[in-house]
Amino acid sequence: MPVNRRKLVGLFLGLLITAAAAGSAAASHNGTPGVSKHKIVIGGTFPYTGPAALYKTIPSAEQAYYAYVNKKYGGVRHRKIQDITLDDQYNPGETPGLVKQLVEQKHVFAIVGSLGTAPGLATWGYLNKRHVPQVLLATGDAYWGNCVHRKCPAAGATTPRPWTMGWQPDYPGEAKLYGKYILAHKKNAKIGVLYQDDAYGKNYLNGLKNGLGSHQDEIIDAQSYSVTDPGPVIQAHVGHIAASGADVFVIFATPSAAITALATEGHISGWNPLTIDNNVSNNRIFMQIAANNGANLNGVLSTSYTLSPTANANMAGVKLAKKIIHQYAPGGVGSLDAQFAAGDGNLVYGLAVGWTFVDALKHAGKNPTRASLMRALRHMNEKNNPFIFPGMVVKTSKKRTFPMEQLIFLKWAGGAGGDWKTQGGVVFSGH
Amino acid sequence: MENAETSSLAGLRARGSAIDPGAVTVVLLLLGAAIFLLIGCLKSTNFAQYTIQGLALGSVYGSLALALVLVYRATHVINFAQGELAMFTTYIAYDLGLHGLSYWEAFAATLAIAFVIGTLLQVTVIRPVQHRSVIAVVIVTVGLFILIDGVVNWIWGGDFKSMKPPFGNGSFEIGGVTILHLYVGMMAVVLASVVLVWALFRFTKLGLGMRAAALRPAAAALVGVRVDSMLAIGWGLAALLGAVAGLMAEPSQIFLSPTFMQPILVYAFAAAVLGGLESPAGALVGGLLIGVTLTLIVGYVPKIGAELQVPFVFGVILLILLVKPTGLFGRREVRRV
Amino acid sequence: MTRQIPALASLLAVAAALSVLPFILSDYNIYLAAQVGIFFIAVLGLNILTGYTGQISIGHGAFMAIGGYTTAVLSRDHGTNLIVTMLIAFAICFVVGLLVGLPALRLSGVYLALVTFALAVSVPYLPLQYSTFLGGSVGVSVQPSQVPSNLWVYTAAWACSAILFVLAWVILRGRVGRAFRAVRDSEIAAVASGVELPVYKTLAFGISAAYAGVAGSLLVLANGSAQGSEFDILLSLQILIGAAVAGLGSLWGILVGAAFVGLLPHISASVPVIGKIANRHIDVVFGAAVILIMLLLPEGFAGLLTRIRRLAARA
Repeated sequence: MPVNRRKLVGLFLGLLITAAAAGSAAASHNGTPGVSKHKIVIGGTFPYTGPAALYKTIPSAEQAYYAYVNKKYGGVRHRKIQDITLDDQYNPGETPGLVKQLVEQKHVFAIVGSLGTAPGLATWGYLNKRHVPQVLLATGDAYWGNCVHRKCPAAGATTPRPWTMGWQPDYPGEAKLYGKYILAHKKNAKIGVLYQDDAYGKNYLNGLKNGLGSHQDEIIDAQSYSVTDPGPVIQAHVGHIAASGADVFVIFATPSAAITALATEGHISGWNPLTIDNNVSNNRIFMQIAANNGANLNGVLSTSYTLSPTANANMAGVKLAKKIIHQYAPGGVGSLDAQFAAGDGNLVYGLAVGWTFVDALKHAGKNPTRASLMRALRHMNEKNNPFIFPGMVVKTSKKRTFPMEQLIFLKWAGGAGGDWKTQGGVVFSGH
Repeated sequence: MENAETSSLAGLRARGSAIDPGAVTVVLLLLGAAIFLLIGCLKSTNFAQYTIQGLALGSVYGSLALALVLVYRATHVINFAQGELAMFTTYIAYDLGLHGLSYWEAFAATLAIAFVIGTLLQVTVIRPVQHRSVIAVVIVTVGLFILIDGVVNWIWGGDFKSMKPPFGNGSFEIGGVTILHLYVGMMAVVLASVVLVWALFRFTKLGLGMRAAALRPAAAALVGVRVDSMLAIGWGLAALLGAVAGLMAEPSQIFLSPTFMQPILVYAFAAAVLGGLESPAGALVGGLLIGVTLTLIVGYVPKIGAELQVPFVFGVILLILLVKPTGLFGRREVRRV
Repeated sequence: MTRQIPALASLLAVAAALSVLPFILSDYNIYLAAQVGIFFIAVLGLNILTGYTGQISIGHGAFMAIGGYTTAVLSRDHGTNLIVTMLIAFAICFVVGLLVGLPALRLSGVYLALVTFALAVSVPYLPLQYSTFLGGSVGVSVQPSQVPSNLWVYTAAWACSAILFVLAWVILRGRVGRAFRAVRDSEIAAVASGVELPVYKTLAFGISAAYAGVAGSLLVLANGSAQGSEFDILLSLQILIGAAVAGLGSLWGILVGAAFVGLLPHISASVPVIGKIANRHIDVVFGAAVILIMLLLPEGFAGLLTRIRRLAARA
């Protein structure tokens, strides 16, 4: 009896292994995935929930823009754009599974606009291997531009990543400007930095050091935090920076941590450093939450490249944005009006990205392929995107792998109910 | 399956003899700690600020720990979902605030709602499995943990919400030490809630019935105490204390999110274990100790770092359970064969 | 012998089904089937510990994390052969399990559950503190040239499941298994009849942790990287639930338990009723299901099978 059983078990294992070795189940496709006669299907991963969920209005705005183009122009060359967005909770552990779903199950044409540096790094290997465009990413990491033609082993790219492209001005460039600003406005500064402990935060920190040049040692306290940290942990980091005697406080943090940092700063009496907030967290709505929790906003410095619904309300681009958001918000007409009126910059950002995508798609040929889309994206010369500041361009070429390289400085005025005021003109933030 | 329980009867017998040396040691230790803190506060404003913050946060941990102890004393169940329940009731308060109630109106209403939910849970979900194996009850509370988490995500979404700070953003200035109104408020509210619950137990007939039902259920039933109802009310009160903990913890988080009570649950476990799982006073003292220790360590020992707080507390729990499993105020275990 | 035929027949049927699946499933569904295999191993491991020796662990996600990070770090730093990393993960987790089992000897019932719960909540924080080695919140990626295909992971997961299932069956049938069961039913009686408690209790922990470690390795290979957040408290709770649904103390329900826990989160919205809710609110379905199962079917799927068998025997 035992002998028979052993034989059967062996057979069972053998069957398994043989079958698997002989099997192959990759689905094959004719034609370009995601492109049909009347539709183009794209996809992206965004933090609808979790610690970065304050960004969830970005994909809403992008979908609103595509709906507007679909309705007003019938899409691009009579193909309506469908955008499938999935929630990865800003968790790079979740993103690969969702991206697999988008590519292998939903057969999207391209990954467009996905948010997050870490999520992007977690999936760029897979997407580049399969030649799927991973473009207009909502993250300013320098890797997206630096690793197009060369390898970046430090970021896990043992081969170049030509299918990946960013959009917004990159973090090191922005931080370099902050470094130069500090040198120009504060002699012998004592700088405290709060930065996220991943590639996004480190990108910023290195840019700041670059901008400070030989004065790097003015950074007396650099505290890293993790995006999953609860509020009290971040408060502890801010407390540490205050206790170090810093008179400049630089915040390289995603919204909820940045808001917590600003609020905590307000609670520490007797500490009034020059405060600089990275532009990924300077949305007016975020600032107001911080103020409600005790932050002193006046004099806080930041930068921008997309228009503000409130501070730039009279500009043509904002008026157009207001109309589109009102009419085409995914949740229904008018569902995002209150957000827009309160100054949610995410909405204008999303429209700006959508504008660029449609612009590129128009230049991708009558029957776009993934390769033709990339070619169009790598040869852009966009001067009239209505949603970015006048004078700014979105430009790419073989040598210029960073689409946007301009910023404008902002300073907050008017207390809790106030707003950002631009300082000076458009400045170059590139390499 | 046999449980290792504290036998109150045996404990009473043990206590009947001379002064318990263990108790004296504990009192001396606590006295020593208090003196250390006092001296530290007088010498350094940073130390004083950390201590006050630690006491405020510790009162929250103590409140949740008290809820855990209440449940354990009454039903011998460790409710792994106590933290999530507290989080759920905090969201209810948030929602009531959206519907126009003032903060304190919402607070009061939430406490009542929490009480009802607590009793309902005991009756529907815990009572049927209470007398089965330990594993079965653990799994049910784990299921509750997940269910409540899912329900909160369903109703309110997983993004971050903002509640109006109940005590504002101001602070007192005493001798160079900044004391946030928030911290004073946290301690005051927790203290008030705990005193009220204690008074209920000590001075009312209901409280007497509950104590009897927990201590000697068979005898209590014989004198007419509705034991089952008493246990349910115990769960209700625990949920109420959990709601207080959640509401008082939220302002220092700035944001309300579905996971905000998870680390606090671990701290509350540590507090309950430190104080002794059957000792209410122990839970509170344990909470304060854990709160102050954590804040001081994070403030002064950069190696431990803010991120290692939960692993550090895990280590504390393990240490206590290995060295003195009955905690500071607990009595010796007796195993019934 | 007549009693064994249905059991062997069902085993063969499962094996046959698993062999055929790669031909008919899409690549993405192969990925899902691999997930079920991964949970199969983890739930099997937990069952050995909790079902057979009665020690409750709500912290098996921690062992999965150790196994997973072992594979990721070895791959990142040395490009080690993936199967070798899995064997190393098995060995390391076995030792760690023994080490954890030692203090666990002094903790019983709920106290052990409490400690393992705290362990499970703590684990995701460790890579954040030791971010140079463990990658911080970004985690550790498997070397790009080594990232396996979905089919590879499927094969590895189910091959391991088969091997480990047979191994578990052999262990539990013999003297060790009887000792385990004696420990679960009554520790004092077990000691009285000469069972060396510490040896068997820690052994169970070691084996159980080793299984979880292999599952963790496979999970990391399926996703391409190890991240702290992959191994959070919910993972530990999922394994426990899988074991409960399977039916503690028996090997036959494990496939059902693993499928429940592995597939439910991925059910698309197209499945009627459950699909709509499960697609976005998986936790509600999970939580409600596990509570209902504990109330109505406390012995899990294995218990259901026993009941059916008894009915069939009577008929």
